[in-house]
Amino acid sequence: MQITTLVLMVLLPTLLGFLIILLGREGLSKKATCLIGVITTGITLIGSLILFGKSFILSEVLPKWNFTWIELNQKPIQFGFELQPLNVLMLIIVSTVSFLVHLYSYGYMKGDERFSVFYSYLALFTFSMLGLVISPNLLQIYIFWELVGVCSFLLVGFWYFKTEAKRAAKKAFIVTRIGDIGFFIAISLVFKEIGSFELKDLQIAIEQGSISSGMITLIAILLFVGAIGKSGQFPLHTWLPDAMEGPTPVSALIHAATMVAAGVFLVANTFWLFEAAPIALDVVAYVGGFTAIFAATIGIAQTDIKRILAYSTVSQLGYMMLALGSVGYIAGVFHLMTHAFFKALLFLAAGAVMIIFHHEQDIRKMGGLWKKNRVLTGLFLVGCLAITGIPPFSGFFSKDEILLAVYQDGRIGLLIVAIIAAFFTAFYMFRLFFTVFTGNTKQKGELGKVPRAMTFPMIVLALLSIVAGLVEVPTNSLSSWLMKGLAKPITTHESSIFIPVIAVLVSLLGMGLAYLIYGSKRISAKRITGTIPWLHQLLVRKYYIDELYRYLVIIPLKGIGWLLQIFDRVIIGGLVRLGGGIMQILGRMGTALQNGQAQTYALISVFGFVILIVSLLAGRILK
Amino acid sequence: MNLTSYLALAAILFCIGLYGVITKRNAVMVLFSIELMLNAVNINLVAFAKYGMVPNISGQVFTLFTIAIAAAEAAVGIAILLALYRNKGTAEADKYNSMKG
Amino acid sequence: MTALNQWLPTLITFSPLLGIIILLFIPREKERVHRSIGILATLPPLVLSVWMYNSFNQKLVGFQMKQSFDWIRLFDDAKISYSMGVDGISMPLTLLTCVISTLAVIASLYIRRRTKQYYMLFLLLQTGMLGVFLSSTFFLFFIFFEITLVAAFFLIGIWGYLEKERAANLFLIYNGIGSAFMLIAMIGLFLSTKTWEYHDMQERLVMWLNLAEQPVLLWVIFICLFIAFAIKLPIFPFHSWMLRTHVEAPTPVVMVHSGILLKMGAYGLMRFGVGMFPDYMKEMTWILIALGLINIIYGAILAFVQKELKRVLAYSSVSHMGIILLGIASLNQIGLKGALFQAISHGLISALLFYIVGSLYERTKTTELAMLGGLARRMPILSGLLLVAGLALLGLPGLSGFISEFLAFLGLFQVQPIFAAVGTIGLILAAAYTLRAVLKTTFGPMRESFQGLRDIRLNESIPMLILVGLITLIGVYPKIVDDSIQLTLYQMVLRIGG
Repeated sequence: MQITTLVLMVLLPTLLGFLIILLGREGLSKKATCLIGVITTGITLIGSLILFGKSFILSEVLPKWNFTWIELNQKPIQFGFELQPLNVLMLIIVSTVSFLVHLYSYGYMKGDERFSVFYSYLALFTFSMLGLVISPNLLQIYIFWELVGVCSFLLVGFWYFKTEAKRAAKKAFIVTRIGDIGFFIAISLVFKEIGSFELKDLQIAIEQGSISSGMITLIAILLFVGAIGKSGQFPLHTWLPDAMEGPTPVSALIHAATMVAAGVFLVANTFWLFEAAPIALDVVAYVGGFTAIFAATIGIAQTDIKRILAYSTVSQLGYMMLALGSVGYIAGVFHLMTHAFFKALLFLAAGAVMIIFHHEQDIRKMGGLWKKNRVLTGLFLVGCLAITGIPPFSGFFSKDEILLAVYQDGRIGLLIVAIIAAFFTAFYMFRLFFTVFTGNTKQKGELGKVPRAMTFPMIVLALLSIVAGLVEVPTNSLSSWLMKGLAKPITTHESSIFIPVIAVLVSLLGMGLAYLIYGSKRISAKRITGTIPWLHQLLVRKYYIDELYRYLVIIPLKGIGWLLQIFDRVIIGGLVRLGGGIMQILGRMGTALQNGQAQTYALISVFGFVILIVSLLAGRILK
Repeated sequence: MNLTSYLALAAILFCIGLYGVITKRNAVMVLFSIELMLNAVNINLVAFAKYGMVPNISGQVFTLFTIAIAAAEAAVGIAILLALYRNKGTAEADKYNSMKG
Repeated sequence: MTALNQWLPTLITFSPLLGIIILLFIPREKERVHRSIGILATLPPLVLSVWMYNSFNQKLVGFQMKQSFDWIRLFDDAKISYSMGVDGISMPLTLLTCVISTLAVIASLYIRRRTKQYYMLFLLLQTGMLGVFLSSTFFLFFIFFEITLVAAFFLIGIWGYLEKERAANLFLIYNGIGSAFMLIAMIGLFLSTKTWEYHDMQERLVMWLNLAEQPVLLWVIFICLFIAFAIKLPIFPFHSWMLRTHVEAPTPVVMVHSGILLKMGAYGLMRFGVGMFPDYMKEMTWILIALGLINIIYGAILAFVQKELKRVLAYSSVSHMGIILLGIASLNQIGLKGALFQAISHGLISALLFYIVGSLYERTKTTELAMLGGLARRMPILSGLLLVAGLALLGLPGLSGFISEFLAFLGLFQVQPIFAAVGTIGLILAAAYTLRAVLKTTFGPMRESFQGLRDIRLNESIPMLILVGLITLIGVYPKIVDDSIQLTLYQMVLRIGG
């Protein structure tokens, strides 16, 4: 099969699905809608699997393909696709998770009257995300980048009648837009420097040294600003937890597995650019490391099940950034993949938990689920173990790679931070687990049932979470495959025994502590928060970042707005009125002359005539 | 006799007429004053026809035209005045101020 | 074929007059007939302009399909000739005019008073607008420019909302001042070049500038022209008339006004500013950039705090016109292309938005943001369209707003990266004010009083759907516009360079 056909097979079905569902809104039943969604993403999945097979197993180098979109300065600006191993890997991740989420949503969204709208948004998102991950140039990445952003916005605000959803959607869009502007400036600078948006051209230009190193650093940092916005890194992380107002399948697909990883993908995809700019790498590493621990600490004090997972996502994305910043290209991408699977699993499981508790999200009101639903407990536990990094679950391998990369990069401070963050991760995940699944049921009345359509995707994801580590360990096949896409190889990390041991020990410590407090209740959580109430409050209020932004940005902006409004009304409007007023006064003076006395008019014209004659004469005399 | 004295006479006559037009309150007097001014012009025309640089008959012809038109103008003027008088009940020129802006 | 093509610009411009003549014979009461004739009369120019687009030769420099004969003989060999033609800049704007005029007439279904006069004036307005874009002499340009002014004045003043008379007055005063400046510039240009033709004017001005004779006079002419088009665009601080017009004018007129009439300012700046005074534009770059930035940020911040939907849109227009100005200020091919794209795309988007808001008003009887909310429940289609229009306004890729903003900024980045970066703040603010307005209208809990609202009917939504289609088309495949403007802009930029 032709590669172009294959790519079209990956891209087009979802776009078609979007159009069909959008146009056939009225006519299609829920089942048909879901079927269209599942079939289109299924075709996509098959297509990407074939591509994956060609690339990964048969080691084929897949060609590129372009067409001209617009001409600038007599040079064509092209669109097309690029199928380096990284792109193919992303294709697999996106199509797998999207396929499963389409399936899952049939159960989760069954009762919603805007079922078809939801599916059309999902399809549009999948299309945009797929377009994003195979883009060969920055402009195309940016275009799809914005499109996934708007899909995220639409889906976060899906329950538009809720005030919180409205606010969260707006926040998600605007905060990521701030990052996008960084990206936008970066692209413009690239075009200014090399007159092209192609990643290839940029790479060549950097190798030839035709761009000054300062400019490279600037471009890299600006690109990273885009990634900060999309991947919820500090300080633009605030939108991601709020985005949990969207339906849970959306949180799993967009805000855990795919779109938020786009920032990581961007950095990985332009990794050679960052390598050429050590300062930018530093920035990536420190921002990532800080975000990892920062979000993890917030995670331990939250009580909303989805928000805990959201902060965990922020923290894990921080990990990936930390890996990339420490020249751990493989580690970052590897963790991106494993995280996509286990975090999607966790979110879907959380969705199932919420279905059981009738859309209750506060974990303090849950408990004892173990007795009601063993399967779900097992699935959730797999997710928890994977994210905590307990061998042999996939999270262990990827996290280990990250820690190793950081260690070898020589930033010991960041390594310690990462390990502490791992401790917090273990703690809040098992706090969540023990609170929800052990103990006694606190809710009265009949508990909800989990439909089969929801269980199946979770099982698949759980399997993936368990085995995904095998692609890299022990054969190193993932890294050697990914290396093929890079211009120059990155030194692989020597494995070291003590780092994984420490990491696992720390994680077990966190789990143990969580068990003592929330599982067996040996230690009272109230006592701990009672001794340091201010710290607890600080964490509950998420370090007051939202409030800070409110007072630093939004209120001043509004203030300036009102000042300008007054300026517009009083000064500009006043000038207009002044101009009009002067004209009116002149007009009144004119009308005073027009008194209707013909004799006065005659007198005035005589005077005028005399003046004219005199001036003419005077002119002649003076000459 | 030379041109200047005729012109001086005409100028004096014109000024008297103009003065009358501007100051007289009775509209009939204003009309008379206009006649005076026209006649001043006639004197000029005739004077130039006789003593001008290129003396010829056309000046006098113009004068005849002017006299004819002045007669017509007086007729129309008086007619308007009568109509105004009927309407407003006065012949005072400064009461006719309906053109006020 | 070619002989007929020559007549195309003339035919397009005057074909709406046919509708006026037919309307003259229709009795006053037959409102439905007026409407149908109004719609039908806008079709010939639309069809003809599509034909013109098809037969437009993208490889020819300068005006084509030119029709020219002597009209008024002035003195010596100076004469005013009647001359019309089309080039790369006027081509897309002509199409835009025809499309938006047709849609605006279709959208005139809420006009129920004095329909006969309304449609006659509207068609006159269309003739004026088409003439502005299609004339190739300054004299005709000016005449058509004035026609639009008169027609728009009556349309605003008679069929507008509450304070329509004031709005119409303000409109007339500002634009009258602008016209006065333009008249001065026009006479000055004629006296110094002894021609009205754009092309000859350009050539002779270049000679003049090289000789550097009487630069003061030319500067005065240039400044007069600049002020005239700055008022029309409008550039800060001349924007206040436009706000009032946008708030008070009837929906179809606002569609045309913000869709096309404002773009005449952009067209003038490109045609006369960049085309005839490239060196002076270059010297003015700093002022242009400063004004552009002020427009963008000032408009955006004010749009953010408005309490009324139409005012938000009006201030957003101020902000978007700033982007046009930035594109022009970059004085390179990309920037100018961005400015032209922005003129077209903002024309479509604002026509769509004002139409949506107009039909919203017909239902809710208010456009106060505080009174709106949750309309998506009762009116999903209208809300969806509003959302799409809002996304287009804030520059979402795939819709036309993105390509124009992107190109304008990209152009400026080539010459002034720092100022361009400052300008991008406007893009963030655009997202903020657009989403605020759109979400306040359609999202959130619904008010009790809106319980009985009905969604839009098909005949109302057709213009909206067409506009959305065009916006998407340009956004996805910009080459459709790009191909025809390419060469003209290239030529223009060459003149700046050399």
